[in-house]
Amino acid sequence: MKIGYYPGCSLHSTGIEYDLSTRKVCDVLGVELAEVSKWVCCGSSPAHQCDELMSIALPAKNMVLAQKDGLKEVCAPCASCYSRLKVAQERLKDPEVKKDVEHVLAAEVPEDMEILHILDVITEKVGLDAVADKVVQNLGGVKVACYYGCLMTRPPKVTGKRDFENPTDMESVMAALGAEPLDWNLKTFCCGASFALTKTDVVLELTKKILTDAEAVEADVIAVGCPLCHANLDGRQPQINEKFSTDFNIPIMYFTELMGLAFGVKPKELGLFKHLTEVDDFLKERALI
Amino acid sequence: MKVIGPEEIRIDSTLAEEVARRSGENVFLCYQCRKCASGCPSRTFMDSTPTELMRYVQLGMIDEAMKGNTAWFCVSCQTCSTRCPQDIDIAHVIDTLRIIVQEKKIKAETNNIRLFNRIWMIAMKYIGRMYEAGLVGSLNLFTGKPFKDMALGVKMIRKGKIKMIPPIRNPFPTMKMFSRAKGLKK
Ligand code: SF4
Ligand code: SF4
Repeated sequence: MKIGYYPGCSLHSTGIEYDLSTRKVCDVLGVELAEVSKWVCCGSSPAHQCDELMSIALPAKNMVLAQKDGLKEVCAPCASCYSRLKVAQERLKDPEVKKDVEHVLAAEVPEDMEILHILDVITEKVGLDAVADKVVQNLGGVKVACYYGCLMTRPPKVTGKRDFENPTDMESVMAALGAEPLDWNLKTFCCGASFALTKTDVVLELTKKILTDAEAVEADVIAVGCPLCHANLDGRQPQINEKFSTDFNIPIMYFTELMGLAFGVKPKELGLFKHLTEVDDFLKERALI
Repeated sequence: MKVIGPEEIRIDSTLAEEVARRSGENVFLCYQCRKCASGCPSRTFMDSTPTELMRYVQLGMIDEAMKGNTAWFCVSCQTCSTRCPQDIDIAHVIDTLRIIVQEKKIKAETNNIRLFNRIWMIAMKYIGRMYEAGLVGSLNLFTGKPFKDMALGVKMIRKGKIKMIPPIRNPFPTMKMFSRAKGLKK
């Protein structure tokens, strides 16, 4: 199966291990990821906060590029990229918006491009049976709190998701790997990613709530599907500990990293040593590396 | 207590109309059920709730709607837009308010978000992709906090997560897009 791949800016920098593990996992599952050539940034939060037209034109540009590559489906691992691409599609249904955007692009925007999050590719296109088939190292009941954040499911009008308040796709994948997915409250609560660099106080407060809830259900690890959530949950733990006198040290892993481990991919190839809250000790303790 | 007669009550719908024209969202559908306010994760940081903000826009209370910090503390989490029984995309209304403030250069409690957005869009225009080191560097420089998040940044560089060189691949397509968009706005 060949599918378009839009890594987005984060996966080339702060989310490098998400890129590495996604590619490896898709490789094992027989999914060929064709990176959209010459892709540009989707504009992310700043664009939709300051320029409506460009916030649609930038994602649309990538759809045009994907079409040039002969792609009909494009997947994005970053929840923010995924959301911006989906929102653009939704807004392009308005003929006037479409006219303006096509003027900006000097090109026609394809109407039938299917936009998927990488989790959708795994649950819908590949299927859980195929995932379970590839497991060579059972995750041995590791307790996982699956964290979706905002944009993987919301707003449902845009994402088309049914279980937007209590999604369970990631849990199903984790169960297929032999992990124990946990029930917890804040799986779709916001970590404040759009203010990561501007209003850090908000981020620390919101992220602390998420970590606290995961700790309350005794999670061994929090699984995520977004590089922005990961940067906050993984990177901000020391600042949170300092500010709130807590002592969080919870491993935060991309769900693709956990899949890679279960598939027997070498930890280094998954980028497991690039985390800021180190995961080595936890994985060694569980005899997973 | 001063009693106000009907002749003194003025509702100005210019702002609501502008929001509708730009975003397609009709704020008059809001019946103040407060569902948006109760689910808002950023509520405790805001001067007013998202529900109150909707009322301000309905009533044309421009100062309250635009100049306070409420719109600027919205983290765009889409919880409100997901739950509104009247199907109003509140997050889109808030984005629209922010866009109006930035376009018209209205003074508001934006903290450094206005600056951040500008730096980002400049990078978009000339580089076409985000470049973290430059973004953080210039933001800290302009806000006069050169050492903000320093420890975090150093760790990320050590782990090979932040590149120090901008990823210039093909800058011209985005430059052309921005100039055509500018032509359109005129
Ligand atoms: S949820 Fe919708 S109807 Fe209810 S107060 Fe908020 S905007 Fe108004
Ligand atoms: S989108 Fe903004 S206003 Fe709505 S719930 Fe989230 S933070 Fe609050």
